[in-house]
Order: sequence, then C-alpha cells, then structure tokens
Amino acid sequence: MTRVWLRWLPAALVPVALATAALSGSYQAGAATTLPHKTAAEVIAMIGHADVRALSGTLQQSSDLGLPQLPSVGPTASQGPASVMELLSGSHTARVYLDGPGKARFQVMDMLAERDVVRNGTDLWLYNSADNSAAHMTMPAEPARTPAPHAAPAPGVTTPEVLAQHFLAAVGPTTDVTVGDGTTVVGRTAYQLVIKPRSTGTLVDSVTIAVDSASGLPIGVDVRARGQGPAAFSLAFTDLSLSTPDAALFSFTPPRGAAVEEKATPQLRALPGKTGQAPQAKAAFARPTIAGSGWDAVMGLPAGTVPADVRSAPMLAQLTQPIPGGRALTTSLVTVLMLDDGRVFAGMVPLERLQAAAAAK
Amino acid sequence: MTGASGARPPSSWPLMASELSVLFRRLRTWAMLLALAAIPILIAAAVKLSAHPVAPGRGPPFLDRISQNGLFVGVTAMIVSVPLFLPLTIGVVAGDTIAGEANLGTLRYLLVAPAGRVRLLLIKYAAAAVFCLAATVTVAAAGALAGVALFPVGPVTLLSGDTIGVGESVLRSLLIAAYIAVSLLGLSAIGLAISTFTDVPVGAMAATVVLSVVSQVADNLPQLEWLHPWLFSHYWLGFADLLRQPISWTSFGDNALLQAGYILVAGALAYGKFTSKDVLS
Repeated sequence: MTRVWLRWLPAALVPVALATAALSGSYQAGAATTLPHKTAAEVIAMIGHADVRALSGTLQQSSDLGLPQLPSVGPTASQGPASVMELLSGSHTARVYLDGPGKARFQVMDMLAERDVVRNGTDLWLYNSADNSAAHMTMPAEPARTPAPHAAPAPGVTTPEVLAQHFLAAVGPTTDVTVGDGTTVVGRTAYQLVIKPRSTGTLVDSVTIAVDSASGLPIGVDVRARGQGPAAFSLAFTDLSLSTPDAALFSFTPPRGAAVEEKATPQLRALPGKTGQAPQAKAAFARPTIAGSGWDAVMGLPAGTVPADVRSAPMLAQLTQPIPGGRALTTSLVTVLMLDDGRVFAGMVPLERLQAAAAAK
Repeated sequence: MTGASGARPPSSWPLMASELSVLFRRLRTWAMLLALAAIPILIAAAVKLSAHPVAPGRGPPFLDRISQNGLFVGVTAMIVSVPLFLPLTIGVVAGDTIAGEANLGTLRYLLVAPAGRVRLLLIKYAAAAVFCLAATVTVAAAGALAGVALFPVGPVTLLSGDTIGVGESVLRSLLIAAYIAVSLLGLSAIGLAISTFTDVPVGAMAATVVLSVVSQVADNLPQLEWLHPWLFSHYWLGFADLLRQPISWTSFGDNALLQAGYILVAGALAYGKFTSKDVLS
C-alpha cells in the first residue's frame, strides 16, 4: 500500500491519452498537403470539367451568423417560418445520393425526423417525416440538348458544387481569385480556391472552395464574413464515395397513411433556402428588382411577396430589430430589411445600403 | 501493479454467474424491470382508449403512428424512457455495485475470496452491463407485445419515407435496443466509479442519476456547444439514425467510441479508488 499513487496513475493518464487522441484526430482532418501547382484559372477549369455523375455522401452544414442561439425546442422538426429561422443558426447534417442527371436523393437528418427530396427522372417527391406528409411534382422533361451541367440535381438540393457554381458566377472584375494551400477534406487532397471581393460594400470577406484534386468536384465551401474569425457559413462533405448508389434509393412510394399533395411544376433553376441563399430563393419566384451588381447587389421584393404570417412570426420578431419604418434582420453575412409597407430588401451588405436602396425607390 | 492478477485463480465464470443470480433474484431488480415494461403498456393502452386520433407532431415522436401500426409502440416507449426511466434504473443498479456490498458488510467477504479487487470490479461492471441490455430489451419486448395485442401490425414506415417489412422492423427494433444498451454503458461505468467512493448506496445511486440529468440539461444549452460532443448523453437519441434508409451507422460508431472513452476514464477512477482503499466493512 506504499505505492498508492501508482494505482491512481491510470486515472490521470487515461483522460490525457484520450484527449490527445481526439485532438490529433481533428488536426489531421485539416492537415496541409502539397499538390502540383495550379493557377486559379486552372482550378476553375477543373470545376467546370468535373464529370462526377454518381456519388453518395454526407454533408455537414453549419452557420455562425452572430445571431442569438435558439435552444432546440424538443425532438420534432420545427415547421413553417421557424424552420427557415432554424437554418440560420446551428448545424445540420444531410445525406446526398446522385446518379446521373436525373436521379437524386437528398435527406436532411433532423433529430428523430427527416426531410427527403427524391428525384427519379421527371418524378419529384418531397417527404417530411415530422408530419408524415408527401408532395409530388412532375418535372419538365429534359430538353433535347444536354442539361446545364451544374444545375441543382433537384429543387431543394444544395451541394458544395451547386454553391460553388453560385459563387463562381459572381467572379468578375470586382473579385480576386487565388489558390490557397492544399488541404484535406474527407480524406481527399483538395485545392483551395479563395474568392475575395474587392468591394468594401459587402459583408463577405472571402469564400473558400475546396476542390477535390482528383475529380475536380467541389467538396467544401466556407464563407467568411468581415471581422469574424470562424466561418459564417460552411457546407462540406464529411463522408463521400464516388460509386453509384443503390438504385432502390431513387424509387419512392409515399408510405401508407401519408398525406399526399400534388403540386405544380417547380422552377428547376431556383436555388432554394439554405441560410445565405434564402432571400435569393424567394426572389426566384417573385420577380425581384436588383440594384447594383456583384457582391454588393441589393435585391428588392415588391409588397405582398412575403406572406404576412411569415412577417409576423414571433421567432422573427425575436431575431429582428425595429428600425424606423420596419424591421431589420442583421447577421454577419446577410441583411434583410422588412418595411412596414410590405417591401423586403436583402443582400450581403450592411443595413445602411439596404435603407439607401429602399429610399431610392 | 496489481497484486491480484499475478496468481490468477481458475475462472471468473462462477463468480459472474453468482453475481448475476444475486442481481436477478432481487425483488428490486424485478420491480424495476416491471416498471419499465409498464411504460409501453401504458402508452399503448392510452392510445387505444382515447377517443380522438393523435394528430401528427403532437406528443412523443411516432405516437400518431401507433394506432396504424403496433410495432411503433416499442420505439415510442424507448424514446420516452431514454431521458429518465432507463438512467434511473441504471443508476440504482450501478450505484449499488460496490457501495451496496460495503453497506451490507459483505464487501470484505468478497475480497477474502482469492478473486482480487480488479476482477471484482470487472465482474460488478459486467453485471451492470447485462442489466443495461435486460432493461432495454424489456422495454422493446413489452412494447412489441402490447402493440401486437392492441393494434394492427404491418409494414413499417421509416423516417426516410421508405417502407420495410415486419421482419426487418423487428431486426431494427433489436438494433435500437442494442444502441440504447450501449448508450447506457458509460453511465453504468460512472455509477460504478461513484460507488467505490462511498459506503452509502443511496448516495451513489442519486449521484449517478443526477449526473445523467445534468449531462442532458447541458446538452440542451447552446452556450455549451463546445462541450456537447463530450457529454455521455449526447448521442442518446441518435438511435433514430437506425430508422433511416439506408441505415446511418455514424452515430452508432460515434456513440460506441464515446461510451468506450467514459468506460476507460470511469474505470481508471474506480480502479484507483477501489485498489487503494481500506475495506473495513
């Protein structure tokens, strides 16, 4: 019994060993790697030529927009306006399965619930397990010419590739594009394409796109806001396989007892609600006016586009602040101005610019 | 380091068997298992007797599915019992392991036998782990029986909207029971460690249950987000991933790894205390 301290040794060493193992594991994930040198134009060309037709993977999306954190209110997925709000904070996991241009499945994994988008040819199914409801739409048949190569595989499906295309479309004379250090994402070496707006009128500091060095597929997108250390928005694969997924995944039959609704044909090009893109998605249906161009563009929606129940949702009242003539939602990346007369302005710009745009009308 | 493991006595199985027979011959153990079995029966009876159908999204998840498919009774009951009822029973069993023997004055007799303290700890922990499995299987089985007795049974709708047959759904229910049993292993180890620090079993039981509640409260506070992946209760409700199509094994693996970490840490603590303590009672 003289060496009592020896018996306590494991109790001291085990936590240290476990912490070391856990930390070294997370350092390895972002380890820098050396890759053959490529210019920014070459990396952008790689994305353009990427010919990944089939994949299955898990996506992790997280937002840190400087909003107050909302406590998760129970296991069921929130619905209605709250579900948009819920995307503005915290993190989400989704699985994505693609096979060719016409087959896609997207599963947003909520706590004890799931939202699915299944596309098989011209059939599009939406399913929400929280209220056991399904919706069916018929997509327009593929045009004879090859479809736009990087369109969203189905409405509601946001992959790093779709997001990367969205940001690359904004690349122009007002943007610096550079290639950063090589990195590792889901065990794949990747080039980091850094897009940095030159304009000081935008809230976006930089957008980093991780491009798989082997296939040219964008596998991660980080959006940084001015004056904020951690990424304001990130979407990246945490698991990725480029093999063809099981065909049974794409055949969807609504379950017995589900409420099935037939909906009108959606607009394929609409980039749907994922945090930073939420205002633009609404805009696609509403004929917005766009003032300015590039990164500091301001989008205006006419009165009556945003339903009154969304505008009066209590959750929204909590997140927005009253300003003369309306309410404003200010985040580190996106600002939304809702005027009392029903008009809505949004953009990746400071609030003053939105107010100026509203006054210009 | 361990004086006991030098001269290894023949076999641990008789000790393990006697430990299990003591545990499962206790009236208290049976009372707890019966109480757990009552949860699914209560849920099934309440849904059956209520005049109004349950609206989707009200009450615990899957409650609205029960009247269409009895196989959901077990799943609903497991979701209901994971936060409190199961940790409560685990706390009682794990908190009693060493402190109970010390309190009864039987600990020194156990140590007189040439078994060694380390082996006694391992056997006590193994018995608590067996109880974890027994408790979850009790809930699942009682749920299945109550569901089959009161409601129609048919193909089961998964969270992904896909439908699976009755056979596969039974398999998935067993997987969920296994997932929850694994989830509770960390708590059992913590209970065992606390139990070595005191001679008052009720104190160890209460401390274990309180820790499980504290861990779950902390898991719901967004301000402590950095801490969440380290809390032993973090993946407790992650068994929903077994109800997706295809099954997502990520949370199963993460959960098993986390629980293994807790078993190692709590085990090392229990070893430190139990091998260096003077057993007087």
